[in-house]
Amino acid sequence: MDIHFDKVEVRFEGRTVIHPLDLTLSERRIGIIGLNGSGKTTIARMINGLVKPSSGRVTVNGFDTLAQEDEARGQSGFIFQNPQNQIILPLLREDIALGLKSRKLSKTDVTAAVDAVLDRFGIRHLGDRRAHELSGGELQLAALASVLVTQPKILVMDEPTNQLDIKNRNLVEETIRTLPEDVIVISHDLNLVEGMERVLLVRGGRIAADGEPARVIGEYRAMHGVPA
Amino acid sequence: MRSLHIEGDSVLHRLPAGVKLATLAVISLVLFKIDIPGLLAVAALAGLVGHALLRISTAEIWHRMRPFALIVVVVALFTAVFSGTTEGLTAFFRLAALALFASLVTATTTTGDFIDVITKAAMPLERLGVLRAQDVGLSIGLVIRFVPEILSRYEIIRDAHYARGLKPRPLSIIVPLIITTLRSADEIAVAIDARGIRSQK
Repeated sequence: MDIHFDKVEVRFEGRTVIHPLDLTLSERRIGIIGLNGSGKTTIARMINGLVKPSSGRVTVNGFDTLAQEDEARGQSGFIFQNPQNQIILPLLREDIALGLKSRKLSKTDVTAAVDAVLDRFGIRHLGDRRAHELSGGELQLAALASVLVTQPKILVMDEPTNQLDIKNRNLVEETIRTLPEDVIVISHDLNLVEGMERVLLVRGGRIAADGEPARVIGEYRAMHGVPA
Repeated sequence: MRSLHIEGDSVLHRLPAGVKLATLAVISLVLFKIDIPGLLAVAALAGLVGHALLRISTAEIWHRMRPFALIVVVVALFTAVFSGTTEGLTAFFRLAALALFASLVTATTTTGDFIDVITKAAMPLERLGVLRAQDVGLSIGLVIRFVPEILSRYEIIRDAHYARGLKPRPLSIIVPLIITTLRSADEIAVAIDARGIRSQK
């Protein structure tokens, strides 16, 4: 991935949420940690263009998220904290197909693409099920399938293991590890981010630490008096 | 999220969504031309038989009809009071038949098929540069998607009242219902943007 934050600042209702930020993200696995309200989700949402910088610019694989919104958004997929919010249509198969609607593909091509992405996660049997019938882990895999059907190069995941039991957490963590796409994970799950190549610690809208996971997680624990 | 669609392989399920919607439109017009309560009662009965043939249980039929039941009864009562009993019965059976036929269409058509057919129907307007057909299809699809969800939310809020020993009152139900529905609509809008469903050229 090739993501650049160039003097990016985000202000909401007169309050600075992200202080001037210069950042380059190029690793294949990046974790973002920090307390609730620290600004980590805002940073992640800027990659998908869901949050616009008040000043400065964000480029994703060379595309400006403001000037080339569609192209930049096409580079990344975003998985929400609550996958329920991500599933738009009731049946999983038709929800996944919805992501391809505007590509004007033939019905056969859409069906093939939907089957391929369901097979990729081993959930073809869930295709005709309704979202509310799925377990937490299945729902997270369904959200992944609905995003990856459009073949983004980068996947941004906001708390992917939140609200999952130990079995489903393990399933989702394993899936994330084996994804061929570049992944940025925002998480409170320190076990998950420990396996990343690089970890960013966000505090008060600033990058408080950045680098090798063990060191950054260690700083995070020390900062809040949590023993390892 | 819940869905109004019911899995099946009946003749109605296999009929193209466009044919079902066009037929429903014609039936609606015919129902408004008929003003004999007995005939309209037969039409409503036909709607019920249709549900039975689809093996939709009585409880499920009631669940689907409940949102309209109050409107049907209120309109029929008003009509009966101001125009007479026959007119009241006419209004009752006409609206009941309409709701039942519409329910047959939603039970046998997926939201995706609704979106497809409405998008196609709106294409002439897109060619005239009036609107984007895909937006119209998506909007209608989302309306259909939200109907059962609003019902589920209503039940959750009502149960929350009972759980706290409170008697549900219209205002204490409607306010949180509107707030949670608007919040959910916002989240869906963000998801539509995030997945690039509208933005791709």
